[in-house]
Amino acid sequence: MIIDTQLASLFTAVSLVIIGIYGAVFLDNLIKKVISLAFIGDGANLFIIALGYKPGGIVYIFLPGMAADWFAQHAAYPLPFALVLTSIVIGASTTAVMLGLIIVLYKKYKSIKASKILGEL
Amino acid sequence: MIEYILMFIVILGAILALMQRDLLKAAILTGIPGAAMAFLYQYLLAPDVALTQAIVGSAILPVFFALAVYKTRRVED
Repeated sequence: MIIDTQLASLFTAVSLVIIGIYGAVFLDNLIKKVISLAFIGDGANLFIIALGYKPGGIVYIFLPGMAADWFAQHAAYPLPFALVLTSIVIGASTTAVMLGLIIVLYKKYKSIKASKILGEL
Repeated sequence: MIEYILMFIVILGAILALMQRDLLKAAILTGIPGAAMAFLYQYLLAPDVALTQAIVGSAILPVFFALAVYKTRRVED
């Protein structure tokens, strides 16, 4: 392949963020706006994971028999992975809060169109 | 080679999920990029993140969206 795995993953993450921003701005349905915001979060997580990747590396688990210098040179960088693990769970819970607010808005306005709730421009 | 196919599935599933007029189909299609991204995390040397993403992205979030669609209106007008 011409481009390696890390660069292709970064392009995928940027594409997800662009798709999410397009959906959150131009789509009229509130549930589709929330789906787009979830895509933006997934793109950001994939970007951070791709930054910690090391081509030809190993998983960051120190097994018996490995030399410490060899492990430090070949293992992937584990700090972004530990942070993204928290970010995924927080993203899921904020999505749940947004969906609950949409249900409350539907009970008040009987519609989930943003142009009807906020008023036409 | 398989990671490029997974990246293509992620982008294609995201576009398809935002193109549906039936919101229940959109909620179910949201699980496809989540599952493909879990496999992609495994290829990017992050197996613990892949475990979390496999549960959250492909099971919990589509169920949340489907519950919200069930409580509101299904067809986008």
